[in-house]
Amino acid sequence: MLQLMKCRILQIVRDKGDMFWAMLFPIILCTLMYMAFGNFADSELIDTIPVAVVVAEENTQSEYFREFVDGMEDVLEAEYLEEEAAIEKLGQGDIKGIFYTGTEHSLTVTGSDLDTSILQALLDSYNKNEAMIMEIAANHPENMEQALESLSNYESTTQEVTVGGNTFNTEISYFFAVIAMACLYGCFIGVRCPMDMQANLSALGARRSVTPTHRLKLIIADMLGTFVVHFGNIVILLVYMKFILGIKFGDHMGGMLLICLVGSMIGVALGMFVGSIGRISEGIKTGIMLGVSMVCSFLSGLMVYNMKDIVQQNAPIVNRINPAALISDAFYCLNVYDDMGRYYQNLIALVIIGILLIAGSFVMVRRERYDSI
Amino acid sequence: MIKIENLVKRYGDLVALDHLNLEIKEGEIFGLLGPNGSGKTTAINCMLALLKYDKGDITIFGKEMKPDSYEIKQNIGVVMQNVAVFEQMTVYENIDYFCGLYVKERARRNELVEEAIAFVGLADYRKMYPKKLSGGLLRRLNIACGIAHKPKLIIMDEPTVAVDPQSRNHILEGIQKLNAQGSTIIYTSHYMEEVEQICTRIAIIDHGKNLAVGTKEELKSRIKTGETVTVEAVVLNEQQQKDIRNLPHVFEMDYEEQILKIRLSGAKHNLVRILTYLQEQEISFGRVFSELPTLNDVFLEITGKQLRD
Repeated sequence: MLQLMKCRILQIVRDKGDMFWAMLFPIILCTLMYMAFGNFADSELIDTIPVAVVVAEENTQSEYFREFVDGMEDVLEAEYLEEEAAIEKLGQGDIKGIFYTGTEHSLTVTGSDLDTSILQALLDSYNKNEAMIMEIAANHPENMEQALESLSNYESTTQEVTVGGNTFNTEISYFFAVIAMACLYGCFIGVRCPMDMQANLSALGARRSVTPTHRLKLIIADMLGTFVVHFGNIVILLVYMKFILGIKFGDHMGGMLLICLVGSMIGVALGMFVGSIGRISEGIKTGIMLGVSMVCSFLSGLMVYNMKDIVQQNAPIVNRINPAALISDAFYCLNVYDDMGRYYQNLIALVIIGILLIAGSFVMVRRERYDSI
Repeated sequence: MIKIENLVKRYGDLVALDHLNLEIKEGEIFGLLGPNGSGKTTAINCMLALLKYDKGDITIFGKEMKPDSYEIKQNIGVVMQNVAVFEQMTVYENIDYFCGLYVKERARRNELVEEAIAFVGLADYRKMYPKKLSGGLLRRLNIACGIAHKPKLIIMDEPTVAVDPQSRNHILEGIQKLNAQGSTIIYTSHYMEEVEQICTRIAIIDHGKNLAVGTKEELKSRIKTGETVTVEAVVLNEQQQKDIRNLPHVFEMDYEEQILKIRLSGAKHNLVRILTYLQEQEISFGRVFSELPTLNDVFLEITGKQLRD
């Protein structure tokens, strides 16, 4: 068995075409994304932003602003300081900015990065809402309650605040989607397993079918060899993202590797399933796999970061059966939501889909004699 | 060793094998001779339990051949018509892989792989990948993968297709050596010269039917043609052609583009009689040669068409 696996690993690793799609393409894609997002990708899952609040004038407006800041504890690590002390801390880099509050509110920062952008966005949002509330109070006091209710939802301001306490930047969702896509691209190497096994699909299939080695042993060895290679590909991608591109995925590498392990299995299983389907040409099979993997990746947010949410709102079942969405969601659960229950649900769903695909492939491959070759 | 009884295989309305009967004995090089599409490969694929068939029985080593007859498969070597090797593995790795499907013990396998490489003459190419090999060398690799485990029965389906003459001779000699070492061989081809050269017994098949079986001598003795005389660059009038047709033992004569071809039944002095007639008539002519009957003549007489039609 080990010898058979070793041979399969050699065959895949030496096939430049297969390795391009399964390993290099995702690396190239995430590199291009990294370049496109610029320094936004430096810190994707960030901690709370240290900030100082200087109360320039005690009044109702400053009181409301302080309530707002205190309410953003998941995002901001605020301390109330005198202006002098705040400026000193800002100069030393201990804080990212200073909010001045009084009749009006302002922000002072010393540089430009994701944190300062978030602070600015928060302030802009607050100012806009404050102005709107004041206008409603003056002109439509009867709508005040409704307005306050709608403002209590800050999702539409600048960012999502997760229950896990991590501030989430949309760019990282693309990287999660790339990993999910890379997992599915295992189909391009998985497709070989049944094609090299079935006498009606290839000369190699016919040749191997007339040997005394049991078919099940051959297909399992092929599958495991392919799976080992593809899991290796995904680990290389993760290592590249984390250590070369410097993308911060959080502190759950074990959990992420587990997702990648199951994701790799799904990719290989998808390829095996498509490869097992009847006597259609390899080109058509490649087209099917490309179509399936790209549609799944698209729906999981590879091109539009909130696509998964749109699907969730309109056709939630798709997210429950789309392996790319499940992989991507498992990453969210681990790194953003801190929702281990949902994480395991996603993993179980992935395992079930994988088992179904492999079982389907086995059923098609186990056929013993063919009508024609 | 192999018995095929009443084998029928249909592809829709097309009858690929029509009540085919064959019996192959131990130690033979058994040739399956027939034109392209005659059913040779279909018969082989049925024997190997790759193809479903509609009717009939196949036994190998006295046991029914089924897809899970792993014990039988252990003793069979197969050289497919299409080269079946892994492009991403070297010559050595390919032979080792296929040998490994039969022989688990590493040391023994190394020995067998080395022997197979030497046998097919690929020692200088052991580290090369298949796509770097010429057609002939690729065929040799295909053979090495099929025979490395030293099987009792070797099935070779047109192993010399698209092979240069040098490699072809190498392959044919190799097959005879394998037979001498104790392997029974089934060899399919549409090249009658090859079959005639190496096979100890031959079945001629066409349209899935077994038309004749026997040694080449037996097959040739069953037909009328004992000799074919060809006279080149000869000009004959109608009367002379008629005279030649009426010469003793002549049963067929073709005259086209100044080439005279006469088929005669086996008898002494056939050539002398023809030359004497030409001399008496003062007919000038070019090259003259006489050939003993070939398997093509056998095929021609049985089916009414050339083997290569």
